[in-house]
Amino acid sequence: MSIITRSITTADREARYPNAGELQAIQEFFEAGQSRLRIAAALAANEHKIVENGSQKFWERCPVTPSNSGNPRFRASCMRDQSWYLRLVTYSVITGDVDLIRKVGTKGAKEMYESLGVPLRNVVECMRCLKEVALDLLRLEDAAEVAPYFDFLIQELIP
Amino acid sequence: MQDAITALINSSDVQGRYLDTAGVDRLRAYFQSGDLRSRAAINISANANSLVTQAVAKSLMYTDITAPGGNMYTCRRYAACIRDMDYFLRYATYAMLAGDPSILDERILNGLRETYNSLGVPIGATVRAVQSMKEVTTDLIGAEAGREMGVYFDYICSGLS
Repeated sequence: MSIITRSITTADREARYPNAGELQAIQEFFEAGQSRLRIAAALAANEHKIVENGSQKFWERCPVTPSNSGNPRFRASCMRDQSWYLRLVTYSVITGDVDLIRKVGTKGAKEMYESLGVPLRNVVECMRCLKEVALDLLRLEDAAEVAPYFDFLIQELIP
Repeated sequence: MQDAITALINSSDVQGRYLDTAGVDRLRAYFQSGDLRSRAAINISANANSLVTQAVAKSLMYTDITAPGGNMYTCRRYAACIRDMDYFLRYATYAMLAGDPSILDERILNGLRETYNSLGVPIGATVRAVQSMKEVTTDLIGAEAGREMGVYFDYICSGLS
């Protein structure tokens, strides 16, 4: 849900047009749109590098974890999940909203990882590493735009 | 409901893909049209009543439909008609702002034709009134924004017929 959908839904509930304040916020959202697209594109273009570096960093910090146990399937799953979460973060950067991270990425994630025997603490650490290497690639103001979405993701996964 | 952004992202997510170039270009164009869209919404919202009045005057008021035996005869029916026109205008404005027609299906069109048929509301006259609303709205907000609003007025018409 973007700020546009959100404002319209609110206005609709009250059977009115969006008011000046809401339209002002929507307009600012439109204006910042190009820069959000650019940041998302930068993350998408560096997906492999980010996941590769994130994994290295994670295994240094958390050597005892299923994905570092020599089982290639666990290793691949860990990297695939990082790609998925990175993708959800880029979607959120574009929409300016964390809705999709929660809906697709974190609802039920704790239960899923627990049932798979993946320690949640390690998942969280892995996301921290992913955040760090992703932000390293960006300019300071772009990194500040992206950080809250990673923080939300991490917060949602903390056991 | 969806907007141009969430519609595109939801369909990319189902395929597990990042936005492709075509998608990014579409969003870029949508963001660029943002000023036009919010200005048009402000303008329409300030003039909503008069737009409905003008549209009804142009298409329905002086026809048989308001005469005894017509479907707009009695004030109660007349009021129901302008209330619906008011809805159409407001929801078309929402859709224009969002750049996506899904809210029209969800809140207006699902079951509307059946409702109108069972109430004996003539579809042809309704479509004419919506088309008039498109014209008077375009007069107010200008050709470019009018074209964008026209997309959603036409969407309502094709959903009705």
